[in-house]
Amino acid sequence: MKRFREPLFVLLLVFFLQSCAGWAKNMDYHPFDASELDRLTPGKSTVAQVTETLGAPSNIVRLSNGNAYIYRRSLSKGTGIWLLIVSFGKYDKHYDQIVIFFDKKNIMTHYGVTLDAHKAAYGLPF
Amino acid sequence: MVSPFKIFPFVMYPFIVGSLITGCVSYRVIKAVEGRSVPNIFTEFQVGTTTLQEALQTLGAPDQVAELEGKDVLIYQRSLLFNSGLAFGIPLTDIWGPSFDFSAYGELVRYDLVLLSFTPDGILSEIASEKGSCYPYLKTILSEMQQ
Repeated sequence: MKRFREPLFVLLLVFFLQSCAGWAKNMDYHPFDASELDRLTPGKSTVAQVTETLGAPSNIVRLSNGNAYIYRRSLSKGTGIWLLIVSFGKYDKHYDQIVIFFDKKNIMTHYGVTLDAHKAAYGLPF
Repeated sequence: MVSPFKIFPFVMYPFIVGSLITGCVSYRVIKAVEGRSVPNIFTEFQVGTTTLQEALQTLGAPDQVAELEGKDVLIYQRSLLFNSGLAFGIPLTDIWGPSFDFSAYGELVRYDLVLLSFTPDGILSEIASEKGSCYPYLKTILSEMQQ
């Protein structure tokens, strides 16, 4: 048993000396505040009031009965681990999104909100 | 001159052994997820009765919005990428030139999708859904593409 001790120790050292890990975080940031939506009222608020409250949208889409203003930002987190002969990587990307629908008179009709960016997480790919 | 192997044996040997092993065999697993999970809405949503307002309250903001043939389409999407690779070889390229090397890699991207189509009045007219994440990685990537 004693004769295996040194090779085992060497192998363990190999394992740790040849290993490394890394983390990364990317943010596609737009400074809109979803809590400001309380100041807007479907059926009343106009495009001007929405852009004054939330800022310029990330995208505008023409729809059958008006337009949709899309506010979007993302947060992604990446994890990489190298353990001698195996390596693991995980990349997790989530979005905060607000989509506001306007009719042809530029009056806000509906809106949908998803605040999910905070769910981006570091970790292993299992 | 004293050999560094005598002074730092527990540092030199691990580096040599480690360098050789890492060049010989390697295995990697990478997973990338984009977006949130897409719920099964077939039980909640009914064509002809569900409104745009109800859909937005239940599912939140869509990932894509488009107009298609006079109807408004909302798309909710999550993508799931899984990549794995296994490589065998002898790391002697620098001193010996080309040597044998075997490697196998695979990458599979699956999508969970929900497509909702609304009339200009905001009434649900069509639902389409795909649950790509329920397909197992190995079985799917090793299967032939079905036409």
